[in-house]
Amino acid sequence: MSNVILEGKNLKKTYRLGRASVCVLTDASLQVEEGQWVTILGSSGSGKSTALHLLGGLDRPDKENGGIVHFRGESIWHQSNRRINKYRNKDIGFVFQFYHLLPELSVLENIVLPAMVGGLGFARASAKSRAISLLEKFGLGHRISHRPRELSGGERQRVAIARALINEPSILLADEPTGNLDEKTGGEILDVLSTLHKEGLTIVLVTHNIEIAQRGDVVVRLRHGQIDRPATLAH
Amino acid sequence: MYQLLLTTKYLTSRVIPLIAVAAVGLCVALVIVVVSVMSGFLNMVQSSGRTLMGDVVITYGISGLPHYGGLITHLEDNENIFAATPIVDGWGLLRMPYPDSKAKQSETVQVWGIEPISFAKVTSFDKSLQWKTPTENQMEWLLFDAITENQDTLRRAMGDDEWEELVVIVNDASGALNYESVMLWERVQKILDDEQWSLVLSFDERLSNPDAIFQQGLSLSQNGSEGIVSGLHVSEGNERQKDGSYRVVRNDYWWLPRYDATLTMLPVDAGGGVIEPESIIMPFVNEFQSGVFMIDESRVFVPINIAQQLLHLDQAEIVDENDPTEILGIDPAKATSILVRGIPGTSADDLQIIVEQLYDEFVSSLPLHTLVLPPSRSNPGLTIHTWEEQQRSFTGPVEKERELMRTLFSIVYLVVAALILSIFWSIVFEKTRDIGILRSMGASRGSIVWIFLQYSLVIGIIGSSLGLLVGWLITKNINSIHDAMGNPPLGIAVGSFALAFVVAVYTVSKAKSGQMLPIVLGGLGLVVFCGIGALVLFIKSVGGLIIWDASVYYFSIIPNEVDWPSSLVTVCGAILFCLIGAVIPAAKAADTDPVKALRHE
Repeated sequence: MSNVILEGKNLKKTYRLGRASVCVLTDASLQVEEGQWVTILGSSGSGKSTALHLLGGLDRPDKENGGIVHFRGESIWHQSNRRINKYRNKDIGFVFQFYHLLPELSVLENIVLPAMVGGLGFARASAKSRAISLLEKFGLGHRISHRPRELSGGERQRVAIARALINEPSILLADEPTGNLDEKTGGEILDVLSTLHKEGLTIVLVTHNIEIAQRGDVVVRLRHGQIDRPATLAH
Repeated sequence: MYQLLLTTKYLTSRVIPLIAVAAVGLCVALVIVVVSVMSGFLNMVQSSGRTLMGDVVITYGISGLPHYGGLITHLEDNENIFAATPIVDGWGLLRMPYPDSKAKQSETVQVWGIEPISFAKVTSFDKSLQWKTPTENQMEWLLFDAITENQDTLRRAMGDDEWEELVVIVNDASGALNYESVMLWERVQKILDDEQWSLVLSFDERLSNPDAIFQQGLSLSQNGSEGIVSGLHVSEGNERQKDGSYRVVRNDYWWLPRYDATLTMLPVDAGGGVIEPESIIMPFVNEFQSGVFMIDESRVFVPINIAQQLLHLDQAEIVDENDPTEILGIDPAKATSILVRGIPGTSADDLQIIVEQLYDEFVSSLPLHTLVLPPSRSNPGLTIHTWEEQQRSFTGPVEKERELMRTLFSIVYLVVAALILSIFWSIVFEKTRDIGILRSMGASRGSIVWIFLQYSLVIGIIGSSLGLLVGWLITKNINSIHDAMGNPPLGIAVGSFALAFVVAVYTVSKAKSGQMLPIVLGGLGLVVFCGIGALVLFIKSVGGLIIWDASVYYFSIIPNEVDWPSSLVTVCGAILFCLIGAVIPAAKAADTDPVKALRHE
């Protein structure tokens, strides 16, 4: 297919725990097409977060026969460090289960931070106005100068999503984004993601929850270190 | 850009960087104060040596240098020599005017016989004179002395009523003047007519011309007779004030220029035997302060001819041992040292060589039949030294001490580095998750290092700037701080105990909740404040402490000039060592695996 944007081929990842080594991914492959919402469904400890980290360039596959991650046809691990940093900064946006906002920064500063890492000054109007419009879109316009600890869990996660979107990435990688939230709030977050998806954003979401998985266009199941295809839901 | 934002946020939202800034500042201040005082001390030793004895000193202490006048003329003819002056030195006993009883105290003094005019050219004698003009109190005492010492003359010039009135005023003054001004001048002038008043003024030149005291000091003479100028610490009547000025006890009662001195010296014959002691009475005309305590407490200046007479170094006839009526020739007057000052720009070492040559020239130029010849340069008793060599026993140890201090206190840099290292280690540990987050949004390793380096740079710059400021303030005010520590105001004790009480009340009220931190902090505060209060009371009870003892450290004040070159090196060193301390944790931070960092709690 010509519109495959992100592809993991035969991914293998082994962790060392003391002397023992645990093979989390043995041979996982996945294709994400532009505009798709792909959900990776797996039980706890199945390696779904690891798969997401490999796709996001946050972690490296095994050195020997570890497989390849292709972004727009280019292998991300065969590039310079500078290119990988740029990939993390510009091409993808990460959303974590525990939000991972910087406690010392205000909501606005947290959101603008990736733009600054990418080389824009905080005062640069484009980044700031985009951050403010994202906050307003997510109903947080009144929270601009608050600190993360002053926000509820759902608000924090919306800030985290806004942060992931500030550099207008091609793909949003979400690692159990509702895992730390109650059902209602989690639902709201998923609604936000659905809206973004409808606007054309490619999303890869990792969850252990089948109901949540139903939101995606394609659902793949991660079992025994491998990704099953085709994507069909058992229940 | 974002590094700056994070650095600012990290700095302003935590206590640790404030502690680091304070620690760096204290370290820097410590080094600056110690090195500045040591350097200042060395400078004072060196400059005082030079101002006290010129550049080169010729000494022949055994029996003195004859024909010194000719030698000085020969020296001064050289274009490199600005001036030379003869000295006759020896030890003597000076009978002091105090106490009030008939049994007076005597001080052992080093007597320098000088030629005042040439001596002032070679040294800074004129600048060291203490009394440029008498104070108002001293003027009252001078008037009081003039009236009481010349009462017979005055009585004859006055009518009975006026005399009675004057006696009442002067009698009143004799008691009260010890404590306060009695307006003696106005009251005496009111009684006397112009003629009587001019008579009073004629008793002492200083009454009509207060500046005369300085001229009298410069010329070592008063009203036509020879006088003595003594070091400021020879007299126990002079008390140093906190601002560094001097006050004479009992409202200037024991001001030396009011009195006469009896100076006794022991002459020694050519064989080293002691001859009968010689004494002379002459007025104190002024006092001097060189700044070197050792000299100020023991040296007095008299005219050179007086010293020569007292030590039997004056001109004498040489007679035949077998027939004392037969005069064989003249033994010329002698000087024990000659001080030489070069023209500006001549180094003491160069001058020493010139003086040695000139000395040889002079000795060989004397006629062969000269009866008493100066010693040749091979005579071990004769030395021609630069002021540095002359002071070597004094400056050498100080120089070594300063270098030792510098070396020892350089360890402070390591303290700074270790401190910053441990603080940054904990900061990096605490911020591991932040590092993971930053890496996940594309921050490079280099930029992570830069965040922490910037952080430490800010701590280093702020800390060492504060240290520079504190060091400068302490050094500038070191004498007042020293005085305050030696004699702390009672208010500090009262204030400390009051604060201790407040802390105690606060601690007791907090202790009920059972929380440990307020109890520990309160207990520490209580110990510190009670300790300060008790220390102040202790110092008060023993009558004050002398921390910098002038008699041990030679100088009457602690050097208070900041050694700027050393201070700037210290500041740069502290900043550099802050960076060194931070770079290791920063590198560790940058190498943290982002996935592990994100899991860090």
